[in-house]
Amino acid sequence: MQIKQILPGVRLISLPAQKFNRCRITIQFQYPASRQQATARALLPLLLERGYAGCPDMTELSRRLAKLYGASLSSEVGSNGANHLLMVRVTGLKDEFALAGEALSEEYAELAFGAAFDPYFVNGAFDPEAVEIEKTALARRLEAEINDKRLYCARQAARKFFGDAPAGIQREGYLEEVASVTPAQLTDTYYELLRTASIDVFVTGMDPAPAARRLAAALQEVRRSPAPLLPQSAMPRQPLARYTEQMELVQAKLCMLFTAAKPADPAEVAVYRLAMSLFGGSVTSRLFLNVREKQGLCYYCGSGFSGATGCMTVNSGVEPADAQKAEAAILHELEQLCSGPITPQELEDCRRGLVSGLASVEDSIGGLENWYLIELLRGGAVQSPAEAIEALAKVTEEQVRGALRSFSHSVSYLVTAKGEGGKSHA
Amino acid sequence: MHDPLKAAQAAAAYQQEVLPSGLTVLVRPMPGYSGVHAVYATRFGSVNQAFTLDGRLVQLPAGVAHFLEHKMFESEDGDAFAQYAKTGANANAFTSFDKTCYIFTATEKVDESLDVLLSMVGRPYFTEATIAKEQGIIGQEIKMYEDSPEWRMLVELCGCLYHSHPVRQDIAGTVESIAQITPQMLYDCCAAYYQPANMVLAVAGGASMQQVLAACERAGLMQPQTPHAAVPVWPAEPEGVAAAYKELQMPVAKPCIGVGFKETPLAPGDLAGELICDILTELVCGEMTPLYRTLYDQGLVNPEFGAETLILDGCRCVLFTGESSEPKKVRRMLLDEIARLRAKGVDEELFTLCKNQLYGEMLCDLENIEATAGGMASSHLHGHTLADELKTLAGIQKQDVDAALQTMLREERSAAVLIRPLKEMPQ
Repeated sequence: MQIKQILPGVRLISLPAQKFNRCRITIQFQYPASRQQATARALLPLLLERGYAGCPDMTELSRRLAKLYGASLSSEVGSNGANHLLMVRVTGLKDEFALAGEALSEEYAELAFGAAFDPYFVNGAFDPEAVEIEKTALARRLEAEINDKRLYCARQAARKFFGDAPAGIQREGYLEEVASVTPAQLTDTYYELLRTASIDVFVTGMDPAPAARRLAAALQEVRRSPAPLLPQSAMPRQPLARYTEQMELVQAKLCMLFTAAKPADPAEVAVYRLAMSLFGGSVTSRLFLNVREKQGLCYYCGSGFSGATGCMTVNSGVEPADAQKAEAAILHELEQLCSGPITPQELEDCRRGLVSGLASVEDSIGGLENWYLIELLRGGAVQSPAEAIEALAKVTEEQVRGALRSFSHSVSYLVTAKGEGGKSHA
Repeated sequence: MHDPLKAAQAAAAYQQEVLPSGLTVLVRPMPGYSGVHAVYATRFGSVNQAFTLDGRLVQLPAGVAHFLEHKMFESEDGDAFAQYAKTGANANAFTSFDKTCYIFTATEKVDESLDVLLSMVGRPYFTEATIAKEQGIIGQEIKMYEDSPEWRMLVELCGCLYHSHPVRQDIAGTVESIAQITPQMLYDCCAAYYQPANMVLAVAGGASMQQVLAACERAGLMQPQTPHAAVPVWPAEPEGVAAAYKELQMPVAKPCIGVGFKETPLAPGDLAGELICDILTELVCGEMTPLYRTLYDQGLVNPEFGAETLILDGCRCVLFTGESSEPKKVRRMLLDEIARLRAKGVDEELFTLCKNQLYGEMLCDLENIEATAGGMASSHLHGHTLADELKTLAGIQKQDVDAALQTMLREERSAAVLIRPLKEMPQ
C-alpha cells in the first residue's frame, strides 16, 4: 500500500492487486456526524449514484455501466463512531478483458470522479425532480426497516444505548425529516462536505496516476477548509435498561449492548479480536457452543465489538418463551470468561481461526480495500494483515479476560411475539 | 496479439479428474492467493423427496436434505467444527432446492482440512438425543425464515405455481415434517445421493490437483465402488398453476408483491435456455429498461424490485418481486410490458448490453476463491463448465430471446402473491 498526501486532508491510497479480474476506485469523504444534517447527508448518495453532469440520466448511466461489462457504481453512507462517511465506488473488469479493446479503467475514473465531484445540477442545485424521487426512495427504505426484524431490533437497541450522543446519529437519516429536505439544502450540504470533509481515494488494482490527476483537478476550484474529525468516545457505564416490543412474529430477537466506557486503543485491536472470537464471534465461541449448541436456546447468537465506540453487541434469535433464559445464559457465559477458567485449547482454536481469516483478507478485492480503509479510519499505525497476525500471536489469556471484564451491560432490547416478554422498563 | 476472449476462457479454466470411485474432482490453482476454498457437493436438495434405491421406493417428508446436512457435522469422535478448529479452517454448509454443499476456507493445514471434509460427508452419525436436539435447532431456523417477507414470498409463489412439485415446500421443511424423519430415511438418502458418483469436489486457490488427489486417496476415494441404483421419482405436474392469487398479512411497512410465471422445464444441460432466462428478466425489468424507470420514478416499487429464475429438475419459473403501495397496478404494468416485448421484439441495443453485463458478472465471479469453487461445483452439477457458460453466452442471438418470449411469461400461467402489512404495527 502507498499513501500520497495530495492536499491537506486529501490522500490517495494505492493498493496493488494484480491477481484480480477487476479493479476499483473508491472515493471516501469523512466528516463529523451532525444531527441537523443527517437526513440531507443520507439523501446524497442516492442522488450521486443516479447520474452526474457528464451522464445525468439514471437509465443512461445503467446502460453505460452495462456497456462496461457490468461495471458497478454505488454510493453509500457509513459510520465510524462519531464521524460519518460518504463513499462513491466504481468496480469493473480490467482492461485486458475488454472485448473491443476499450480503456475501461479510464472510464471507471471518469465515472467515479464525475459522480463524486461533478453532480448534475439544474440552475445551480440538484435536479428538483430527481430529489423528489429519491426522497420517496429514502423514505421507503427507512420505513422498510421493520421488515428485517434482526436489523430493526439492533437499531432500536442502538437508539436507546446512544441516545443523543454523536455516535448515535443515524447515518441513514430520519423518516420524519425526509419530506422537508429541499434541493437547495441538499446542494449546500454537498458543497459543505466537499469543502470540509477529509477525503481518501482508494485505487485498487489499477494505475493510480490518472486518479491523482483527476483528484487534483476536481479540487482545484474548491476552497478547502478541512474540519477536524470528532474524537472517538464511548458511552459511560449506566444502570441496565430493558425494553420489550411486541409484534406479530415467530422468532423473537434479542439485542444486548455493553459498554467498555472507553474506545479501544488501536494497540488493543488484537486483544478484542480474540476476546470476541472466544465469547461469541466464531463457531468455537462460548455463545455458539454453549448457548446455541448445548442449551439450544438460540438459532443464532453472536457478539461483535466496535472499537470506535467501545461498544459490544450480542445479537440472538430466540424462542419468545426462552428470551429471559437466553439472556441469562449469555450473561453467564460472559461471567464465566471473566472469572472462570479459559482452556488453552479453546483460546488457541479461536486464535487459529482468526489467523486463517486474516491470512485470506487479501484474497478478495473487497477484503483488501476494506482492510486498509478500516486501518486508516482507526488511526494510529497502519497494520498489514501479516502484522495483525503477529500481534494476535502475542495476545495472552489475561489480556482477553481483561478486555471482557471491561464491559458492563447497558441495554437489552427484545422484539418478541405478542403476549410474551412483559413490559418495557428502564 | 492479446485476445480478450482467450484471456476470459483462461480465467474460467480448471483441471478435472474422475476417480475410480466415481467422484469428480475439479481444481483451479490460483497463484497469489493465500486461501483455499473447497466445496464438496451432492446433487441432493430439498426437491429430492422421492426416489427408488435399488428398486425400492423411498419417500421423504419435506426438509430431509437440509436435516441431513446438519447431521453430517456429527460423528462418534465429536463435532466436525471441533476438528476444523484444529486446522483453523472456516467451515459451513448449505442446502438449496437441488444440491447440498459442504464448504471450508483455509490458509493453513489444508490437507488436514480436506481430510475432515472428506471424512465427515456421507457418514452421518445420530442418536435419538442428537436428532431431537437438531429438530429443535432447525425448528428455530424455520421460524426465523417465517418472519422474512422475502422468503415467505418465494415459498408462497412456488406454492401457487406448482400443484405437486416439491419446490412448493420450504427447503428446511416444517416443524411437523422434520418430526417425521427416521434414521432409516437418512441412511437411504446417503446410500442414494452421497455415493461418490453423485458428488463433486471443487477446490480453488492455493492448492494443487496432486494435493487434492492425495487427500482423496487417504479418504479411500481412489477405490472403485459399486454404486447403488438410485433413480429420482417426480410427481406428475399439470401445466397450469395451482392458484392464481394468494394474499397474506405480515408485519411489513409496505405491501410486497410477487408475480410468478410457470415455464416448461428445460431439458437437462440446456445452458442456452438458462442464460436466455437471465437475459429475458433483465430485458423486462432490469435497471436499464423503460419499465423499471417508470416504476422507480413514480415511486411504485422499491429500488430492489427485480426478478429471479428457478431452474430445477421438472421445474422452471420466473419470479418478479418487490415492495409496492399499488401492487395491482405494478402487476398490470409488468404484464403489459411483457406483451409489448412479445409483440415488438426486444430492444437490440439492450440485448447486447445485457450480454455484456453477464460476461462481466461471469468473470467477476472468477476472481475470488469462494465464488470460483462454488461456480465450478454448481456448473458441474448442471452438466457443464464455466468456460461453456462464456462460450454459450457469446452464441446467444436476439432472435433466440424473441423466440423464447413467445412461449414464456404467459399471463395464463402466472400467479400473484400479495403480502399486506398487518393493520396493527409494533406497540
